[in-house]
Amino acid sequence: MPRKADVKNKTMKSPETMSSLVWRRFRRHPGAMAGAIILAILILSVLLAGLSPFDPEISDIKNRFQPPSGNHLFGTDGLGRDVLVRILYGGRVSLSVGFLVVGISLAIGVPIGSAAGYFGGWVDNVLSKVIDATMSLPALMFMILLSAILREIDAPFLKSNSTLTISLVLGVLSWPTAARLVRAIFFTFREMEYVTAAKALGASNLRIIISEILPNGLGPIIVESTLGIGYAIMEESTLSFLGFGIMPPTPSWGNMLDKAQEHLSQYPWLAIFPGLMIFLAIISINFIGDGMRDALDPYKILAQIDE
Amino acid sequence: MAQLGRYRLLTVLITIFIVTAFVVGCAPQEAPPEQPDVEDTTTDDTTDDTTTDDTVAKTSIIILIPDNPAEFHGYGAGTGFEEAISEMVMLSVSEIDDLGNYFPELATEIPTVENGGVVMDEETWETVVTWHLREDVYWEDGEQVTADDVIFTWDAFLAAEIWSSATDATEYVKKIDDFTIEVKYYYPNPEYAIHFGGEDFPIFAEHFCDADQGYYEWDCNRQPLSDGPYILQEWVADDHLTFVRNENYYEEGKPYIDEVIFRIVPQESVKRAMMDEGDADVHYWPAENNALSYMEEGNGTKFAISPTERWVMKIFPNLKARGDTPGEETIPHPILADKRVRKALRMAIDVDTIINDIFLGFGEPVWSEFFRPPFEDSCGIPRPAFDMEAAKALIKEAGWEDTDGDGVNECHGCLYAEEGDLMTMEFMIYAEYGETLEFAHQFIAEAWAALGIETKLSIVEGAVLWAQVEDGGIELAGNFDINMWDNGYGGVDPTSYLWDYYYYASDSEWNLANWTGEEAETVAALVDELYSTDEEYRMEVFCDIAWILEEELPAIELFSTLEMFGLSDRMQGVKPTAFDILTWNVADWTVSE
Amino acid sequence: MGQYIVRRLLQAIPMLLLVSILLFALVNVAPGGPLSQFSRSRRMTAERAESLKRQFGLDKPLTVQYIVWLAGNDWMAIDTDGNGITDSYGTRKGVLRGDFGFSYQNREPVLPQIMDRLPNTVYLMGLTLIVVAIIAIPIGIISAVKQYSAFDITVTTLSFMGQAIPEFWLGLILILIFYVGLDNPVTGKSLLPGGGMYTIGAEFSLIDRIRHLILPVSMGVVGWVAWWSRFLRSSMLEVINQDYIRTARAKGQNERKVLYRHALKNALIPLVTMIMIDFPYVFTGAIVVEQLFSWPGMGRMYYDAATSRDYPMLMGVLILGSMVIILSNLMADIIYAYLDPRVRYD
Repeated sequence: MPRKADVKNKTMKSPETMSSLVWRRFRRHPGAMAGAIILAILILSVLLAGLSPFDPEISDIKNRFQPPSGNHLFGTDGLGRDVLVRILYGGRVSLSVGFLVVGISLAIGVPIGSAAGYFGGWVDNVLSKVIDATMSLPALMFMILLSAILREIDAPFLKSNSTLTISLVLGVLSWPTAARLVRAIFFTFREMEYVTAAKALGASNLRIIISEILPNGLGPIIVESTLGIGYAIMEESTLSFLGFGIMPPTPSWGNMLDKAQEHLSQYPWLAIFPGLMIFLAIISINFIGDGMRDALDPYKILAQIDE
Repeated sequence: MAQLGRYRLLTVLITIFIVTAFVVGCAPQEAPPEQPDVEDTTTDDTTDDTTTDDTVAKTSIIILIPDNPAEFHGYGAGTGFEEAISEMVMLSVSEIDDLGNYFPELATEIPTVENGGVVMDEETWETVVTWHLREDVYWEDGEQVTADDVIFTWDAFLAAEIWSSATDATEYVKKIDDFTIEVKYYYPNPEYAIHFGGEDFPIFAEHFCDADQGYYEWDCNRQPLSDGPYILQEWVADDHLTFVRNENYYEEGKPYIDEVIFRIVPQESVKRAMMDEGDADVHYWPAENNALSYMEEGNGTKFAISPTERWVMKIFPNLKARGDTPGEETIPHPILADKRVRKALRMAIDVDTIINDIFLGFGEPVWSEFFRPPFEDSCGIPRPAFDMEAAKALIKEAGWEDTDGDGVNECHGCLYAEEGDLMTMEFMIYAEYGETLEFAHQFIAEAWAALGIETKLSIVEGAVLWAQVEDGGIELAGNFDINMWDNGYGGVDPTSYLWDYYYYASDSEWNLANWTGEEAETVAALVDELYSTDEEYRMEVFCDIAWILEEELPAIELFSTLEMFGLSDRMQGVKPTAFDILTWNVADWTVSE
Repeated sequence: MGQYIVRRLLQAIPMLLLVSILLFALVNVAPGGPLSQFSRSRRMTAERAESLKRQFGLDKPLTVQYIVWLAGNDWMAIDTDGNGITDSYGTRKGVLRGDFGFSYQNREPVLPQIMDRLPNTVYLMGLTLIVVAIIAIPIGIISAVKQYSAFDITVTTLSFMGQAIPEFWLGLILILIFYVGLDNPVTGKSLLPGGGMYTIGAEFSLIDRIRHLILPVSMGVVGWVAWWSRFLRSSMLEVINQDYIRTARAKGQNERKVLYRHALKNALIPLVTMIMIDFPYVFTGAIVVEQLFSWPGMGRMYYDAATSRDYPMLMGVLILGSMVIILSNLMADIIYAYLDPRVRYD
């Protein structure tokens, strides 16, 4: 394993070179750059949703199902609400779900993966069983069940399938991916000389885990997390289609698309715009993830440094 | 090279596996569907001038429903599709037609005082009803349908210990002879004429059903024995049910259509498309937007609607604090216990807009339970006005005001809440109705928000909303503030409905509003008065009840809706009804060429 | 090897138990239940409700309910008629002996109902998997071998798009185009059927079967192909860039031979693993496809059970689904160990 040690050493030596190199490599990936720009625009416009004169939840019943026009750029929905503003607010919800799910899965997955990978032995044995058990649940089916149950549990913050509830439902099944990744990283690095050295110098386990080993895995974790945002947005839309996603009147891209299907032939704009948003968000996230993977690939970086 | 060998082996193994999986997948369906055992004697009373004599074109229709019916049994199931399929194969003693008239099915006539079938003891009020059954009805296996079958079904129903108004009223049901039944009531039963009938009371065959298995569990719920117009030929769960014509149906020449297929298609938009493409004939309960499109002429489809309203969209306020189940303690609901608040809630609902713009005109405003015949003019109760200003004033009068400007009222001298408490509640509907109800839900919540009443919207499945208390049933456990769903009584007489929903002293858990107090007791006493044969007096009592309900508002009626269906142009004779299920007259349906 | 398989199989048992405990606990905190079916606008007497609860064994503590669910109650005295007296032995055999209980909806045993739908799902999803493999494998290989060629770029872009289209949205569009929109020029009827497995009432015909398969299979294929071909491409690339391939090339071996003899063979290992990991879908089905195309499979049944809170049914499907997933993962590991001599069996 000399090469990976090299990576580590070089990382330690020249952090500036490292990040600028990654950025340079990322920039050279046309898809990733395009993705980043689109996503940035999406996020920006979603944040600026409040500037719109329309309210996403106030109806205007006399103007229902208006086709796109100068007044309503994306038309109006079945209660006369502006589709554009609902898409922007829905984007907040959908993107929040994406980020929250990734946050939840990192919050669960990283500690568990770290512990399993660092300590090994029975700790690893037990934690791996938990990871495997979670991964052996049929994902969509389990999410439906969980969402159905959480919907009626009388707990603060969790009722009525709020953004947080749905994020929990999705996060509960997505953390094992992160845990496995982190575990594998620890398996690779825990025997390294510098780790042994740090141990010999009396560094605490926690310190070694957090500041010696974990940073090595940052690249793959970032890549996985980026892609995870896309999966989460897609999964929320699937749950919405099945009636177990975010509850109206809170808009999300998923539930807007779901509500549009009844009117697909009559009022196609209801479906086109949220569909397009999901499509754009996911494709740009995937391209960014792809670009990051390339940019963060240790072998390629190494080759570049060697050049 | 050894490596390569391993790959070949693996490839072969995987191929074998997948092929096996494929074959397994195909196998059960490969058998050609069974042909109905239609006898060779081609009935040619409807199709006599076909050119090829020996191949009479088989008429077949397809009915689209969204759910797999659980069984042939209306009573235990809630979706209506169970009732629809059981009407296909099983008869009742009597039924109600689309105009609300009783008619005999297994019986020869409806017993009345005039024809001597109903005799009441003026002293004790005990009433005896005598039913005479037809002697020409046979089960598909050749056994005759007799009084034993009716009594058998009734006994099984009693053994299942499910309450109905008839069980309380009945002293005995006994067989006089093979085709005569005598029923004795402790007091006049206003619904005696459909005691053994209506949409959910089919008569089962004594020799076929196993009473030990129980009314709900017995196998004849799934493999029914037919004495009705059709015979179940094939049931592929989650896919379709095929019914073929009962050649020995008691009504000569009927039914007219050879084959009726119930096809299960979950997506509403797909159902609509199938109707357009001519792949189906009946669209069961279409969404309002599709109903509207069926009304347009000339695209191969048409629209059928019941002549009278069936469902009443109602708001159920919980008059007791959440989770306070009926019984011992009575903690009033901090907000809804004040009837001024309930009145204000009603005043803020723009029913006309909901009907016209959201329900696309499919509905009539309703403000009382007693809006349809035989009641006239909702007992003279004037229609409540939609008046936001008055509603605001009433809320203020009730002691709720928004003084801190956050848009939500606080209690300032209100009757049942702590000073300063926020006017926040949960507002719930059920998921299965679909988008239209969701729109109405959001629309009403918005109007209430304008009054300073904050509602948290939630949508739950009917299975949870209406479940038993033990199972976390939201309504029965009283775990709600305000619910909205379509309710209303079937049949023509609301007595047992009133008993269920407004009779505070009964064991009825369906007093959903948890309504108690002096007025509730008055209504209970009036409901007791309804067990009488004096129709004029009963009407008076009904209207007395109506006025009290109007004053107290334990439930808020909004509008009534009809039974709606999309039909293909060729369907004839379909008569949707508010009193029974669509297939009540399936034997009369025909298709035109 | 044999020992390895046996050991892995044994390890799967506690895993399944863990999953079953988790699911059982979850289902039991959930609202809705066996008595819900008796509710709407009907009234059940309190006595009847009590007696039903006793009959269903719902009056017992959760641990006992779990044991009964797992191992049955035909070895313990219970109250069969719900009169409050434990009068005879139960009849439930327990999940371990294939008794998943009775569906709340139609009071029929769960397992036969699952077995009834399973073939339909295997039929649809198995075929989808085959089509995916047929399309994705060559695409993945070619685009890796010809990295950065026009073909590669097109395919990569398309696969990115394929992964970004919501599945149900694609299905709706397919229905709109091929069922509602296009007509068969000969018969004037729809080009392709809008749902179902076959024309009801018609004689068995292969063509009819295939016509009914095209749309649902296409809907499933798009995202899946995108995913597999990208995966195969990157694992091929990884192998191609590895030292021994470079060495083989440097030694002047025929390029084609290098690629197919060495590279493909090694890239197939992760592919086989991936097929095994996706394999459970063949059994658990795709709820969305089945829902859209009125396909009478496992996914539909599960969805119906979820909306009506039919917990025995949900448990049955989830447990069987988990079992298939665990076994598939196991198979993946075994195949991996078998193909890759570097893996030690420990």
